[in-house]
Amino acid sequence: MTKRRNLILPAVVLGIVLLAIAVIYWVEPAGSLPSFFPGHEAGSSHHHAKHGIAAFVLALGCFVFAWFQSGPSRQGES
Amino acid sequence: MEPITYLQSIVLGLLQGLAEPFPISSLGHGVILPSLLGWNIHQNDDYFLAFLVATHCATAAVLFFFFLEDWMRIFRGLGRSLRDREIGAEDADARLGWLLVIGTVPAGILGLLLEHPLRTLFASPTSAAIFLTINGVLLLVFERFRRRPPRPGDYKGDADPRIARMSFRQAAAIGTAQAAALIPGISRSGITMGGGLLTGLSNDDAARYAFLLATPIIGAAGVLKLPELMGSAGDGVRGQALVGALAAAFTTYLAVKFLLRFFETNRLTPFGVYCILAGIACTLIFAF
Repeated sequence: MTKRRNLILPAVVLGIVLLAIAVIYWVEPAGSLPSFFPGHEAGSSHHHAKHGIAAFVLALGCFVFAWFQSGPSRQGES
Repeated sequence: MEPITYLQSIVLGLLQGLAEPFPISSLGHGVILPSLLGWNIHQNDDYFLAFLVATHCATAAVLFFFFLEDWMRIFRGLGRSLRDREIGAEDADARLGWLLVIGTVPAGILGLLLEHPLRTLFASPTSAAIFLTINGVLLLVFERFRRRPPRPGDYKGDADPRIARMSFRQAAAIGTAQAAALIPGISRSGITMGGGLLTGLSNDDAARYAFLLATPIIGAAGVLKLPELMGSAGDGVRGQALVGALAAAFTTYLAVKFLLRFFETNRLTPFGVYCILAGIACTLIFAF
């Protein structure tokens, strides 16, 4: 598989952002979420735990992708 | 009065265990059958969701233990690839593992975000019957447009290297398409088996891939909702849920064993025909 090392940093940054979003979803009730977040509902005390899990899974995906791109290149690979 | 009787829980457990691996939509049958029998059970009632958690956990556990040796090889392959930071060219277990991860993530995320709205929107028996008909048509379409016709001896030899030839893009597409099964009447295993056929797998290999792919998603859905069964929604149905789960485990085992043998020499066509006929019949029954 071709390694794209230039994507490592963007993947890690995106992973950290998604991780932060996951924590916000877990900690903040729907009423306190930023208005541009899916699931924002003024005055609601409901926690969107599932949205948080979705963001966390995506963050993990970004980190795993970055990890694989940081691996050693095979011989003959550009 | 109990919200769900022990007899009902046995029937629904047997049905869930049978219909989950079969490409005929367990969710659709779970909506249609109680309505046909005149049972006052609705898919969106809290107690019924709690009951479903138990049957889904049982189905996932049986699928996991049925393929336990394969899962152990897949986990070791995933570990090897993470350690080496690459998927070895000859490492079919690692590649199959990542195909399953890539297939599971989109379905899982869509499931987390869309499960409740879709279940609420399409909860009626009529809607489930219509989608069951559509599911049947899809199964026939998958067979019609499969990449290659079945060949004698397709099922012989080790299936995993054949399945592992699938591209990551194809795995992601099949995984995303699984989300359609959130609609009662559309079958998750039908979609994944059909997707496998479109990528060039035999019926037998496609079924095996569908069962492996179903395990984490059904298991995760069950585990995530376990608090509902343990909480107030589970009051009065925990005994029935246990009985339903045992019934579901029994039929899941039989269904998987049967289907792996069935698809060595057979196609999705009979299930497609069944879904179309049953879907049309139920649509007419519910309409008049």
